[in-house]
Amino acid sequence: MKLTINKVRLVAAWTWDAGDDACGICRNAFDGCCPDCNIPGDACPLVWGNCKHPFHLHCISKWIGAQSSEQQKCPMCRQDWKFEARK
Amino acid sequence: MSTPARKRLIRDFKKLQNDPPSGISGAPCDNNIMKWNAVIFGPDDTPWEGGTFKLTLQFTEDYPNKPPVVKFVSKLFHPNVYNDGGICLDILQSNWSPIYDISAVLTSIQSLLCDPNPNSPANSEAAKLFQENRREYDKRVQQIVEESWTT
Ligand SMILES: [Zn+2]
Ligand SMILES: [Zn+2]
Ligand SMILES: [Zn+2]
Repeated sequence: MKLTINKVRLVAAWTWDAGDDACGICRNAFDGCCPDCNIPGDACPLVWGNCKHPFHLHCISKWIGAQSSEQQKCPMCRQDWKFEARK
Repeated sequence: MSTPARKRLIRDFKKLQNDPPSGISGAPCDNNIMKWNAVIFGPDDTPWEGGTFKLTLQFTEDYPNKPPVVKFVSKLFHPNVYNDGGICLDILQSNWSPIYDISAVLTSIQSLLCDPNPNSPANSEAAKLFQENRREYDKRVQQIVEESWTT
């Protein structure tokens, strides 16, 4: 597996840089947290795939963790899931 | 007890109530959000028109990371539905995605009714008639539609 970083974006605002959408997996707002957490913010971060689809880290990790390695696809677009590197 | 799966199912239920897809209804059983009853109405202008087909959906605590088990309770004659009501539909098996919800599941089953996939037959007689004798197939479907009113 090779990870290529195409672009690094700096995000400094408090709200997650994902529009005002909701996580496709749990359907909770991105400004809220995943159903396993109570406090939104750094404890329940958002992550993006290389395909630019955002999820709660906890939600996508559960999904990816339940798949065999060749089945680890983005739930939205079914491309191979790779965590996008961001700062 | 409010687990992630149950929270998600409550969201699904609210969405289904606020924005119901046409020809579909569903609700959790009394006291058990993990088990749902649903009805799919046969789409107009198809041989399935007028049919009311009952289904059950059984969820686990792994939802939405695992699909529900969906079964027709009403008798069906369809290339992708087994005799016991089990459904052969890729999104309920290997192509499941955790972004699907109950509306998406039921809508997909509704479109499967009129748009069978003869390449993965669960009922070989229905699959054969669908491909070789559409008139007879439609006749059998109409029988099933009539039976759906009484069961
Ligand atoms: Zn989430
Ligand atoms: Zn979380
Ligand atoms: Zn994606």
